Amino acid sequence: MEMSKKRLFPDVVQGHIGTMPLERLYDLVHDPGNASAKVVEAPNSPEESLRDSEEKYRMLLDEIQDYAIFMLDPRGAVVSWNAGAERIKGYKAEEIVGHNFSAFFSPEDVKQGMPEELLRVTATNGRHEFQGMRVRKDGSRFLASIIFIALRDLAGNLRGFSEISRDLSESKESAAKYRGLLEAAPDAMVVVNQSGEIVLLNVQAEKQFGYRRDELIGQKVKNIIPQGFAERLIADGTRTAAEALAQQIGMGIELTGRRKNGSEFPIEIMLSPLESTEGILVTAAIRDITTRKKTDAHVLELNRSNEELGQFAYVASHDLQEPLRMVASFTELLARRYRGKLDSDADEFIGFAVDGARRMQRLIQDLLAYSRVDTKGNDLVHTASEEALRRALMNLRGAIEESSAQVTHDPLPTVMADQRQLIQVFQNLIGNGIKYQNPGVPRIHISAARNADKKWIFSVKDNGLGIDPQYFEKIFVIFQRLHKRDEFSGTGIGLAICKRIVERHGGTISVESQLGHGSTFTFDLAGSEGKS
Amino acid sequence: MNHIEVESSHLDVLLVEDSPGDVRLTKEVFRDTNIDIHLHVASDGVEAMAFLRREGEHVNAPRPDLILLDLNLPKMDGRVVLANIKADANLKSIPTVILTTSESEVDIVKSYRLQANCYLSKPVQLEAFENLVKSINDFWLTKVKLPQQRQGG
Repeated sequence: MEMSKKRLFPDVVQGHIGTMPLERLYDLVHDPGNASAKVVEAPNSPEESLRDSEEKYRMLLDEIQDYAIFMLDPRGAVVSWNAGAERIKGYKAEEIVGHNFSAFFSPEDVKQGMPEELLRVTATNGRHEFQGMRVRKDGSRFLASIIFIALRDLAGNLRGFSEISRDLSESKESAAKYRGLLEAAPDAMVVVNQSGEIVLLNVQAEKQFGYRRDELIGQKVKNIIPQGFAERLIADGTRTAAEALAQQIGMGIELTGRRKNGSEFPIEIMLSPLESTEGILVTAAIRDITTRKKTDAHVLELNRSNEELGQFAYVASHDLQEPLRMVASFTELLARRYRGKLDSDADEFIGFAVDGARRMQRLIQDLLAYSRVDTKGNDLVHTASEEALRRALMNLRGAIEESSAQVTHDPLPTVMADQRQLIQVFQNLIGNGIKYQNPGVPRIHISAARNADKKWIFSVKDNGLGIDPQYFEKIFVIFQRLHKRDEFSGTGIGLAICKRIVERHGGTISVESQLGHGSTFTFDLAGSEGKS
Repeated sequence: MNHIEVESSHLDVLLVEDSPGDVRLTKEVFRDTNIDIHLHVASDGVEAMAFLRREGEHVNAPRPDLILLDLNLPKMDGRVVLANIKADANLKSIPTVILTTSESEVDIVKSYRLQANCYLSKPVQLEAFENLVKSINDFWLTKVKLPQQRQGG
């Protein structure tokens, strides 16, 4: 059965927590056919029989440490007291015999008349079995499993009551072991019975919820987890308790915890079943996920603001394009129609206006291209990088022919990439190699090698001007240029786009160079094997 | 040159465009491209429909040979204007060309679904815009056979 496979602690199983099932004790005390019980049934029987039976009975009771077993007269005064009762409740026989059993109830329960009610119900039904909170001599409370039995003589007159009870929160060998494990757990742990009452908890749970242990034992778990937990334990017509629980096992359930002071905090609970003599108990590991929630929220917020920023850059540059189109078009028209018709100052001014507008258009287009890397990128798929290179070279045909550049390459691998963007990276790096040249023939070589992480390292090596090492970082920043505009055109977007593309692919890009000795740009991409 | 002949050979184009700068720019470029084009302007969607249906002050408006339609218009959106034109038995045969700054795939798809005759996006460079207007003139106003319903309605 699934339940037993998932049992957390195999030694905490049916019949092991207690030394004797309550039912058997009940029989001993109650069954008229049982020799020792007869004593109870008929206290006025002949003396020898009585002594004999009482002896057996007392011996039996004294052996029992795990159960409080005692008798009450019809009004509830204690008339007998066993060792277990002394141990569990903390009273010696001489301290309690003759006193009313309402001493074992909390003042609230006494006020509500619970002790009297209990006697009344038991007298009516003959037997009453329940779990409830009891108070020890020292005032501490504990959850007890209790059987109350009405004792009647052969004529059917009520002679008194017998109570057999067990401290559910009390340490037994395996329970102690279990409790030790609970205490060692890093999370708050709460053990709950099928009625949704807390029967056991660890110190982390005390801390987390701000209660003392005895304030929680016997309380409804709803008090500390208002919603979503107790409901999960409920068996109904369509499912048993075990089935209800089985659906929840091993799943992290996010709920809200409530501290003693009323404050609430986010929790995640994991449930596991625990079979015991009281039926299936549920152990809940409760983790305070306030920090995780905050971190999640921060990451979300960060992603959102990054996205907004990207969106802003895109919208701003897109919307700026409109009025700029007007400025550029009309200054251009102005230049065409009126050049040489006004004076030389006018020509010069119009010239600056036209040039400024054109440059601004390029900047905005580049900015749009830069933000499109993320907003309009495609999924990374198996991409033949050699094909991407071939297409990049096709796009560069004009520049290659004009400069007589020699572009060579090794065989190149298949990688995980957005092909359009990989083409752009090749195109920008090779284009730069052709553009930033000494007089002479540009020679560019593209190769790829595997590194230890099984990533492909691409190299684009040129014989161009080279870059002063102090600018290695700067060249990848958007709109950063190393040359005056009249030396080389361009806005300084190419490498920034390369960097953004490579980073979007989960890689990095860098340069090695010396002034006058060419540059080698390297970037890495994930190989395509092992992915689909 | 015979005045009557010039009158009868001109083409009427309705430009639906709200930006005065764009209107002027388009007029300038059309003037340089083809002197025989009469460019009429409607600055919003409502006015465009009034022009096409010869309502109010447009009672004497000519039936255009071509409509150049921007998408983002005040009062009545260009997409609605397009839908209205194509739903109108009298107007749907007039070639309607979308001329807009939007390059959004959504706009392109939607325009063709609404039976736009073609979709052009306005280039940012003046020279490119001039080339585009030349293309419109060469294709839609020169090569293409348009229905002769000048006097119809």
